[in-house]
Amino acid sequence: MVSRDSPPSTLSTSDITKIPAGGGSITLAVHGARAVFEELSSAYPLKLLSPQVYERDVAIVYLLSYGGGLVAGDRVELDVKLKEGSKLLVLSQGSTKVFKTRPGQRLASIRANGAYTALPTPTDDSLTTQTIRYTLLSKSSLFLLPDPVTCFRSASYNQIQTFNLAPDSSVVILDWLTSGRKALDEDWAFTRYYSENEVIIGDKRWAKDAMLLEADRETAQNVGRLGPLPRRTLGERLAPYSCYAMVLLYGQQVQKIIEKFRARFEAITVFKRGMPEDVIWSFSPIGLPGAEGCEGTGAVVRVAGKETELVKGWLKEGLKGIEEVMGADVYRRAFA
Amino acid sequence: MDNDDETYILLLLADSNLPTGSFVASAGLESYITHGFLSKNSTIIDFVRDSLATYAHTALPFVSDAHSVISTYADAKGDDNIDDVVRNLVTLDDLYEAMTLNHVARRASKAQGIALLTLYARGFSRPPSLSQGVEEEIRTQEARLSKLLDKYKLLIRREEAPGHLPICWGVLTGALELTLGQPSPVFLVHHKYIIISFFLPHLSERSQYLHLFLHARSLLSASVRLNDIGPYGAQQLLLHAVRPLVAAEALKCRDLRTGELPGDKENFDQTTNGPASTWPLGEIIAARHDLQHSRIFNS
Repeated sequence: MVSRDSPPSTLSTSDITKIPAGGGSITLAVHGARAVFEELSSAYPLKLLSPQVYERDVAIVYLLSYGGGLVAGDRVELDVKLKEGSKLLVLSQGSTKVFKTRPGQRLASIRANGAYTALPTPTDDSLTTQTIRYTLLSKSSLFLLPDPVTCFRSASYNQIQTFNLAPDSSVVILDWLTSGRKALDEDWAFTRYYSENEVIIGDKRWAKDAMLLEADRETAQNVGRLGPLPRRTLGERLAPYSCYAMVLLYGQQVQKIIEKFRARFEAITVFKRGMPEDVIWSFSPIGLPGAEGCEGTGAVVRVAGKETELVKGWLKEGLKGIEEVMGADVYRRAFA
Repeated sequence: MDNDDETYILLLLADSNLPTGSFVASAGLESYITHGFLSKNSTIIDFVRDSLATYAHTALPFVSDAHSVISTYADAKGDDNIDDVVRNLVTLDDLYEAMTLNHVARRASKAQGIALLTLYARGFSRPPSLSQGVEEEIRTQEARLSKLLDKYKLLIRREEAPGHLPICWGVLTGALELTLGQPSPVFLVHHKYIIISFFLPHLSERSQYLHLFLHARSLLSASVRLNDIGPYGAQQLLLHAVRPLVAAEALKCRDLRTGELPGDKENFDQTTNGPASTWPLGEIIAARHDLQHSRIFNS
């Protein structure tokens, strides 16, 4: 899990010991025609794995957590930097599982060191937080295609991702979640899920997608003398679907993919239906941010499906164009 | 501004005949029906509830902050900081644009936003013929606010600011000095039918509350036009079903802010106090509006 070429000088034992629990850092660069990790380090419970790939100029990294999931109180903080011209595929191994809150029984109690004090500190130890900052330098490409997040019953999860893009870089950001463990009859049974993806291009905020899914709290139900409201569950609000995905796309490298989505979407005509489809999706173009040197345009695609597999299949097909940038062998690892 | 003045402003703003663009907006309801989501198990009131919840959570932080920008400016009297005020409004407007990724919602929000500023300029400003005998101080203050709103409207026309509905609503109600109010009975005349009355909830800003009420009412009006419910039925729902929903959402979201204003950025926890959408299904359905084979609304 270190770089495949000669170990860069930035990676020394003393550096590694400084990483706070749940922290991590990735720097990818192109040396000659090869993609090389100048830094790839992490601390429990975060684990980074980088498999060998045959395509010389691209790299893959898996974001893992020990035990296959995150528990209450876990706090992951990761910085990812793509240097000029590098291409990175970020994956997870299986869905990111967020276990139910277990106050007092945490596997890891994590506090960031001084370097992270600018970030909001969770006031509640029962919260699981994942914060990832991506920086994309000129002509680099990031494909963030993890498996969906699955929040177990009563789990509380915050995911905050920021993307600082050079105007001529490219990105595909997939963020998705499932309703829980079907086998255990979990259907939108978690307590709270907050996910934020902020994309800054040049110095302009281009998109900020923030989603909050929260179970109705009993205390919030009573509206004074108007009396209690009938309960409306998350499941009722999100029915009949059990998987929701959002994809943000931007940049020259993904223009063909965007155009294909656009053409498919505009070709749809909806006549009045008696019941909802099994998979439903939307496409919205997002205009140029007006920053100097911006190439191409961007878009957001949203998909919902009655089964996670339906959404996965739909995404895999829709994003197939990534093969042209990363190679078919690399893309095959996504949506595996 | 005393209670009677505020009540009078509320009566004016609640008029469903105001040219604020809500006649052409269904906020995704038409698409929701076309896509087969309305059924025995899911009624119009469920749609109103989910739509209102997500709208309150995304829009109210912007209403509140825009309102506070204008109120601060209004209170500052004489001090000429108009450019800072405009810059703050543009910052809020740009953030709302970046957070509203659904192109149909963006379009509708912009159309309704500029309509509100036009409404202020043409419908709520004091005409010269009625200015005689008005105190100098009041006239100066009104001129300052008009100048600010005109300036902002010009930026929107030049496409240097998007002009989104929640920001423009905050600006309009801030300029009309619609502020915090003690609970008091308010009587609204709905354009054709009945006089309804409701109580404003404790500690909730009237501007926020009214904004949510109007969102819910326009959904019911749209539902009447779409022939889903009748006009009397809509009225019943407004009084008995919508009221607690509006009250609950206003209460839940009254303290949300954008965190973008100077002084607000530090220690702001966006995960608990910031804007966020709460209904991903609504986003998809609303963004599919233009795909409908036939449609009567614009959103």
